Amino acid sequence: MSVMSVPLPRSARALWLEVKRNAVPYVLPLLAAVFYFDTLRTADGFPPVWTLRASVIPNHMLIEFSAFAGGLAAWAGSREGRRKTLDLVATMPRAAWARLGAALAGALCWLLLAFLAGVAVLYVQTALQATWGGPPLWPVLAGAAGVTVVTVIGFTCGVFFPGRFTAPLVAIGVLVPLQVGFREAVNVNVTASSGTTYALLSPISVPPPVETGVYYHVPPDVPIVQVMFMVGIAVALFGVLSLAPGLRQLASAGGRPLRVAAVTLVACGVAASWTAFALAGTARPDAVGGWQIPALHSAASDQPVPVTPDCTSGSAFQVCVHPAFSFYLDDVAAALDPVAAEIAGLPGAPAGAREVASMSGGQSVWSGISGNPPVFDFAAEHVGTTVGMFDGINSTMYIDSGIIPDAAAWREGFQQGLLDSFLIGPSQHSGFVPLDAAQQAVEDALLIAAGSQPQNPISQMGEKAFPETVAAVSAAARRFAALPASARHAWLAAHLAALRAGAITLAQLP
Amino acid sequence: MTAVKVLKPPPASAGTTRRVLAGIRLTWLHLRTRRVPAGILALAACGGVLRAALYWHWTFAGLYARQQQIPLIIEAGAAAVIAVTAHSPFGETEQATGRWLPYLRLFAAVGMCGLAIALLQLGAAGESLNEGVLVLARNIIGITGIGLLCSLVTGGLLAWTLPMGYMAFCQYALFQAWTAPWTWPVRRPADRGAWICACAVFAAGLLLFTIVGPRTRLSDDS
Repeated sequence: MSVMSVPLPRSARALWLEVKRNAVPYVLPLLAAVFYFDTLRTADGFPPVWTLRASVIPNHMLIEFSAFAGGLAAWAGSREGRRKTLDLVATMPRAAWARLGAALAGALCWLLLAFLAGVAVLYVQTALQATWGGPPLWPVLAGAAGVTVVTVIGFTCGVFFPGRFTAPLVAIGVLVPLQVGFREAVNVNVTASSGTTYALLSPISVPPPVETGVYYHVPPDVPIVQVMFMVGIAVALFGVLSLAPGLRQLASAGGRPLRVAAVTLVACGVAASWTAFALAGTARPDAVGGWQIPALHSAASDQPVPVTPDCTSGSAFQVCVHPAFSFYLDDVAAALDPVAAEIAGLPGAPAGAREVASMSGGQSVWSGISGNPPVFDFAAEHVGTTVGMFDGINSTMYIDSGIIPDAAAWREGFQQGLLDSFLIGPSQHSGFVPLDAAQQAVEDALLIAAGSQPQNPISQMGEKAFPETVAAVSAAARRFAALPASARHAWLAAHLAALRAGAITLAQLP
Repeated sequence: MTAVKVLKPPPASAGTTRRVLAGIRLTWLHLRTRRVPAGILALAACGGVLRAALYWHWTFAGLYARQQQIPLIIEAGAAAVIAVTAHSPFGETEQATGRWLPYLRLFAAVGMCGLAIALLQLGAAGESLNEGVLVLARNIIGITGIGLLCSLVTGGLLAWTLPMGYMAFCQYALFQAWTAPWTWPVRRPADRGAWICACAVFAAGLLLFTIVGPRTRLSDDS
């Protein structure tokens, strides 16, 4: 007897029939097109950092899968009622629950298979581009739990309300709560510690900061309660399928043990969801910008991830970045080298630059010069007055961030960050400190000398940027930049302390 | 007794009345077989959800793309409901019943579309719907056209799938600030290109749906 001719068990045969007859495969091309445009293109716009790229799974994939999963599951669930074959199938020797379970499993198999295929495409693409780390699994689990619960909700609606309008109404009926949950989740992240945190149960949220999971592990606390909440709902609804008054009679073939099992499932599902809900209410911000749930939190995830930075080797000014951002190393070095050369040898001039974590001890870390020999510290999120520097140079930025991709502006952001720190003085990591007019003029002059075009000084000078001051600063900057490099260097060596102290006026600049 | 009374033709007014009554009955039967009364209830439910979304501020404030998200989902749902009413329970045999079927299909689709706009606008009345009734109407018109086109391929019962796919794509287009006129939910109310595209899709869908009719299958085998 060959392997192929071995008869399958009854339940496996029923499942195979449902898999063969399911409507999901007909919709797969449409789902693939939406996946390509929405999920894949959005992920492609993010830097190839695993945690950031994986965030599109719950934030984009889950939404597009939900519309189809809910509708198609409702379509499968309403089959017997739609065809008016309830009396016919009631003569089956098996419980209605088992019959419905096979139909549900058939739809779920296809949907989860399509979901995992999409995840595989996304992760293979990321693996080919990422320079550090590995694929995070919690977003996949949360997404799969989301697809599962939406499928079970749709199927249950189809069983109880069989009709031609059930499928489209379920499709939009699951999308609206997902969007409302997303809105609440965004508010939770904005208000951080204030307000309630139940909205963290929503698997859909804003993309995380670019360095999430790079310097510190991402604690699995929030994904755990999300999965628990969604699986609890799915289990409870699966139990309800057997307990509904109309189905109880049909389920009598299974008898009392089946009803006991159904009640147990409903109780377990409700308990799991309620526990997850209660746990989500205890969430609080952690020290590195994420969320932790004390009952689930492991202190091990608070420890920094040990890593050896990637550094440039060919230049006197050494630039180091986290290996997750190695793809930016040459660009950062190319941006910083010209301005570092302009100030080399001056008191407090940095001998190198290194990337540090953007959050430490619950506080944002800003760029600045520190150490001996001095080193310019910058973060993926904060360089000088600009934020989100490692979110992308040429990539399609997520439009919510309001950042327009511009390679020249990106390069200049690093240069200004370095010069801001240099002109203000060492050990200034406290965020935005406006320059005075003379400092701004010197910075602009050094930028011009390094081959860049200074940005509008209004953002640099803050409240001091009166129109007449801006014009005077520009004139002084052009004058100072026109000096020979040796003359600029000599003047700075002689007057740097006074310039940093704010004792130099525009008129005193050569 | 003579046969004069029997042979005498009935008065013209009575014939017209009977024909009108028969027409009304035919229309009513057509609408009932398409579950149009239940569809109107479903459209009213969509209007209710839209009202709830606006009243309780489920939509985002500020960014245009975010403001449009939930209204677009509901409008796509209303259009999907209209597309699903395309299904006939009689299959091909219905096509041999007379010449009125295309007109009935046309009347039902246009009437449902107008009713959907009215009911959703009623739901939004008194609340602040982003970009107003024009975008709402354009979205319903265009996405209904997509649904009617889909019904030619999938049949009426699965005609909701393509509107859902288009809606999911437009959610992406909203965030990426696409400007192509065929992504009309992204464009402003008075945008001519968006109106042309939405109306062209609706006209094509309506024309083919009226003439050809949705794909029919007596056995619902999927």
